[in-house]
Amino acid sequence: MKKNHLGTIKNIQEINKNVYSIEFSSPTLEKISAGEYVSILCDGLTLRRPFSVANFENNTTTVLFKKRGSGTEYISNLKIGDKIEFSAPLGNTFKIENKKTLLIGAGIGVAPLFYLEKKLEEIGAETFFAAGFLSESDSIKHEFDFVSTDDGSNGNKGSICDYLEQIIKEFKPEKIVSCAPHPVLKFVAQTAQKHKIPCEVAMEKVMACGIGVCRGCVISIKKDGKIQNATVCKDGPVFNGAEVVW
Amino acid sequence: MVDLSLKIKDFELKNPIITASGTYGYNNEFDTFCEVNKLGAVVTKGITLEPRLGNEGERIFETYGGMINRIGLENVGIHTFLEEKLPVLKKCDINFILNIAGNTVDDYIRLAQIAQENDIKAIELNVSCPNVKCGCIEFGVNKQALYELVSVVRKNYENCLIVKLSPNVTSAEDIATSVQSAGADAVSAINTVRGMGVKLDFINGGFKKTTVSGGLSGKAIKPVALSFIDRISKVIDIPIIAIGGICTLADVLEFFSVGAKAVQIGTANFTHPDIAEKLINDLEKFMLENNFSTIKELQKKLMEA
Repeated sequence: MKKNHLGTIKNIQEINKNVYSIEFSSPTLEKISAGEYVSILCDGLTLRRPFSVANFENNTTTVLFKKRGSGTEYISNLKIGDKIEFSAPLGNTFKIENKKTLLIGAGIGVAPLFYLEKKLEEIGAETFFAAGFLSESDSIKHEFDFVSTDDGSNGNKGSICDYLEQIIKEFKPEKIVSCAPHPVLKFVAQTAQKHKIPCEVAMEKVMACGIGVCRGCVISIKKDGKIQNATVCKDGPVFNGAEVVW
Repeated sequence: MVDLSLKIKDFELKNPIITASGTYGYNNEFDTFCEVNKLGAVVTKGITLEPRLGNEGERIFETYGGMINRIGLENVGIHTFLEEKLPVLKKCDINFILNIAGNTVDDYIRLAQIAQENDIKAIELNVSCPNVKCGCIEFGVNKQALYELVSVVRKNYENCLIVKLSPNVTSAEDIATSVQSAGADAVSAINTVRGMGVKLDFINGGFKKTTVSGGLSGKAIKPVALSFIDRISKVIDIPIIAIGGICTLADVLEFFSVGAKAVQIGTANFTHPDIAEKLINDLEKFMLENNFSTIKELQKKLMEA
């Protein structure tokens, strides 16, 4: 199966200030798993832009993104019916296991966890979804089990990290999965390790090739007692939190 | 039928579309986007004697019309290449050029000997990587050092020897002439142009500055490459393989018109991962429609333009 696809925009909306949800369909992309991502060609730009998948059904992919630079600016201006070229599926996947799973998302990092939550629900796994945002205006709407905002304008006041111990104590997860900015991921992974709970983290880095060849997006991981490079684009974006060299 | 094939010394290529080192992996990694064995050749990621982890920190910075990279020659090393990557190249019938890089003359000699022992049909000497601390580019910018390096590699390697030239030099003509006199079979040009990206964030009344210094590639460097090749083609007779921002058939023809015999596609593989195969098809179609039966004939016509 070839991984370059032509898609049609089915829906695009600004769901909050500078946060967009976009749906596009392609007859050639029949399956994409939770954790995997798509990389969208943006007119006039050298590098495709990678986005985790927030949902996928009937050949239609949903991604959420925050308008931050020229790539997301381009995509945010697309209209229903417009064509896009994209590569998919790229990267590795979350493990779908029937375990009591705590999902920790911060900011736009909640997006891939939506799709994971759906897949976990399909196999009957119990989940607890905790999300952190900067403020109400930055929040993404969803039936979360716990929400915090830095300024307290939505849910509890403070960083999601401030509540992690309490959530672990009450929910007693067998597994933690997180997608969030680097400092939050680091905190979640280290807290999980302290409690000896397996933890998967979805990482982000500027990517060029998307298939592990250019070595532009490497992070350090410790595996078999050895420090080595791993590409976020191909070996990731999902990593064992205990193996990442933070 | 049109014949797209060409020969550089005894190295045969089905067509003049080659993928550039560092952008295409070691073997068939692009097979979910392209029929890799249809390419003229794949130039492997730069290989050193020992494995390298490459540079710390940010390695990529997108720029207007291109990108800057400072990967730092991360690679598996020649021994893993021979054990794990070479068998795949052979099995998939992929025509390839081994790109080699060293810190010292001895490194290059040893790598050339290993290439010879394994009957690798073509090597490209990376003497122009701007992203490693010692070796490499130091050879590429000094015509005497480069002459000596290429001469001694030549003594140790009988098959097709290609030298990849840096644009970061004072005289392209002197460098190219030295490489030809030292016995190279071809040159490829240009490697990346030294560049820097700066990102400023204004946070809480202060500036946060992030910089990435490395090699600039992509569309932005095409005029630099055209000029470089135009100049060297006037002073050397060995074939020139053009590299620098090539994305379209028009780009390919422009490079042929200034003297290139083949082209390498680099950064464009990231933008359009199926571009290399598409360019072969576009070239074939153009030749068919315009009654060119061989690449040589097309290139002759373009050189006369």
